Amino acid sequence: MATDAAAANIVNLSASDRGELDRLFDRILTVHGAALRRLAAAYTRTESDRDDLLQEIAIAIWKALPGFRGDCSERTFVFRIAQNRSIAFLARAHLRRRASAEQIDVQDPSPSVETGMVQEQRAAGLKKAVQRLPLPYRQVVVLLLEGLDYSEIAEVLGISAANVGARLTRARQMLRAEMEKAG
Amino acid sequence: MNLDTELEVWRQDWQSESAVFTGLRQKVKRQSRWMRIVLVADILITIAIGGSVIWSAFRSPGADRFVLAGATWIFLVTAWSFAIRNNRGHWSPSASDTLSFLDISIRRCQRRLAAVPFAAALFLSEVVFCLIWNYHHSPEWHSSLAWLLFGSVAFLFFGFLFWYRDKKRAELGCLLNISRDLGETTQD
Repeated sequence: MATDAAAANIVNLSASDRGELDRLFDRILTVHGAALRRLAAAYTRTESDRDDLLQEIAIAIWKALPGFRGDCSERTFVFRIAQNRSIAFLARAHLRRRASAEQIDVQDPSPSVETGMVQEQRAAGLKKAVQRLPLPYRQVVVLLLEGLDYSEIAEVLGISAANVGARLTRARQMLRAEMEKAG
Repeated sequence: MNLDTELEVWRQDWQSESAVFTGLRQKVKRQSRWMRIVLVADILITIAIGGSVIWSAFRSPGADRFVLAGATWIFLVTAWSFAIRNNRGHWSPSASDTLSFLDISIRRCQRRLAAVPFAAALFLSEVVFCLIWNYHHSPEWHSSLAWLLFGSVAFLFFGFLFWYRDKKRAELGCLLNISRDLGETTQD
């Protein structure tokens, strides 16, 4: 008997509304899909976890769309949902890791010898360094790297812009140190 | 390296990975269908159970049938009113900011934990009622088979309930840790 208001919203939509919702959802996936995938990768350790999280984010966006009234930008709306689902996923992923009692290595996305471009190697190093950051710093760094400004990050996370600045200063130091450590 | 140049390089590196989506849209559609099924399933089950006992009471009238129908409806109304009260105000809007979402996730987890003793008490009341009712009104149930059946169902139910309680407790612990981490950093 779990009444889900979001599910009820979608059930109550008319066919034309649902068609509009379909189109909006497709557009969001096209425009923000790559960013969502990168964000999911920052919070997960394996490709299958990343895909699971990405699916959860997509479903949460789909469920929240009927309630989206444009009181914030579409990008803020999408990233809020993505951040929130990632937090919920982290809480559950922690349980799964503890249950299996095994340490899962971070997937090494290093490029193959054939495609060993410098940028790909740097990108792989950056991704690993981001994954190692403590959660509060990882949150702001991921959003910054996706191109959000301080006020948008503050809006997504529900903290002040001053706090975003403080976190980012520390996060960038940590990120630099992580990347130097990785050599 | 200049700070903004460094950030620009990081952004280019970070955004260099593109995405190819295969089947995500279909998965979301499937999940959406499933949501609708689950939403109506609770109502259909209530109508099926509640309707069948009322139909049975009117088909072969007798005090015992009316007692069964009345008790069944009391159990159904109790379960629904608890579910509605327990979920009230705790639907979590996914699109709120992270701190609000975390706060509501913690409260939802606490409410779900509160539902565990309620579910145990309601289940025990139902089993006790069923056993007493069957003992008095269904001679064919005066066998060890009935006890075995009720015992097995109770074992499975309580096994699930303990597993669910432990899972929710651990999840609540994780959420509280995350909340503390984020809260400490927010106060920096």
